[in-house]
Amino acid sequence: MTDTPISLAERDELAAEFALGVLDGTALARARSLAAADPQFRAEVARWSGRLAPLLDDVTPIAPPARAWSGIDAAIGGSPKPDNVVYLNRRVNLWRGLAAGATALAASLAVVLVTQPPQSLAPPVAVAALAPLAAMLGDDQRDLKLMASYDPASRRLMVAAASDMPTDPGHAHELWMIPADGKPRSLGTMPGPKMRAELPLPMAKQFREGVTLALSVEPMGGSPTGLPTGPVIASGKLERA
Amino acid sequence: MDRAAFAPDPSTSHELAPLIGSIAAGDRAALAALYQRTSAKLYGICVRLLPAEADAQDVLQEVYLTVWRKAGLYDQAKASPITWLAVMTRNKAIDRLRGKQLATDPLEAASDIAADDPSAFDIVEQGQERERLAHCLDELEPQHAAIIRAAFVDGLTYAELAARDAVPLGTMKSWIRRGLQRLRGCLEK
Repeated sequence: MTDTPISLAERDELAAEFALGVLDGTALARARSLAAADPQFRAEVARWSGRLAPLLDDVTPIAPPARAWSGIDAAIGGSPKPDNVVYLNRRVNLWRGLAAGATALAASLAVVLVTQPPQSLAPPVAVAALAPLAAMLGDDQRDLKLMASYDPASRRLMVAAASDMPTDPGHAHELWMIPADGKPRSLGTMPGPKMRAELPLPMAKQFREGVTLALSVEPMGGSPTGLPTGPVIASGKLERA
Repeated sequence: MDRAAFAPDPSTSHELAPLIGSIAAGDRAALAALYQRTSAKLYGICVRLLPAEADAQDVLQEVYLTVWRKAGLYDQAKASPITWLAVMTRNKAIDRLRGKQLATDPLEAASDIAADDPSAFDIVEQGQERERLAHCLDELEPQHAAIIRAAFVDGLTYAELAARDAVPLGTMKSWIRRGLQRLRGCLEK
């Protein structure tokens, strides 16, 4: 490795070569030490990475083996904790309390409405839309039970198995919402007996009372088609908590 | 034309960016969801670059552990989530190819990353998406364009490219340097 000063043109050339990945030996070592020490060199590498990045779009996707996720899950402490369901129950109770409060509020607004012009209808509707929802997912043929709870204010969905999850090596369990239009939309795969997700706004808008939640068995990484491909092992409808 | 129209899937960025935010807040389910949506693309990159399957899996795991630890450093203004992930994956795979040792503890590796491997994060998209790059590569001599693609996507060094195409190392270097220079000129137009 050399420590002789590098000209601007040389530095930019080295940054391009480094981003392209063609360097080895001493040139690579030099580029790495520049990247660690010189913000301008790093910025030039970053620009080149951005320029070349679209080439990666052409690389064929390959589903990784199941053990790749298990390793990640274990490293981040994803082993299931026995208190999941207790925690969920506590949350559901809390939301029930909030829902009762919301109902009381709606009732009191209804009283007010008697003497108010019709445009005051808006608040109770908004209150109703924000009521927490819950679903019990199950299936006649299996003992599998899952509880789902959803808080529209934060758009947070939590699903937890209330019984042992089936072990399907090499498969994933994918959760779906099926709104009024009958078209399933993926809510993601369950990494274990519990999952939490924050729903994107367009999905949250359709996430309301009467919508069906379903859990299907899919290839690792989830359904390749964007629609359920395997058997549904549990389902249930969203109701007011 | 609107830049967003070039994106392979306009909904992807919209879906992925909030997940990265949740991961930064320590939400494991968000990491699982990100993995579910992106792992096939990233593993494809690992497999393309790394001949050994074990290496490909190691690098894939390291990418997600890095995301887990460093999601807070992601800057949406600089790059879309999928581009950030893809470039990070490629850079880590190249490091693995070039014999840079990963730390034995992947979490430790992820926590040290900002200090010792800034290249793993840095990326700046400049609104020059796919079509623009394709156009500018078309402006190069076809052989030079093909070599630049092979270098980036297959992880070949100067020496490997020279051997593959049976040309002297100096020739390969000047082809690529000239190609990169012209590419930049075209992209910055």
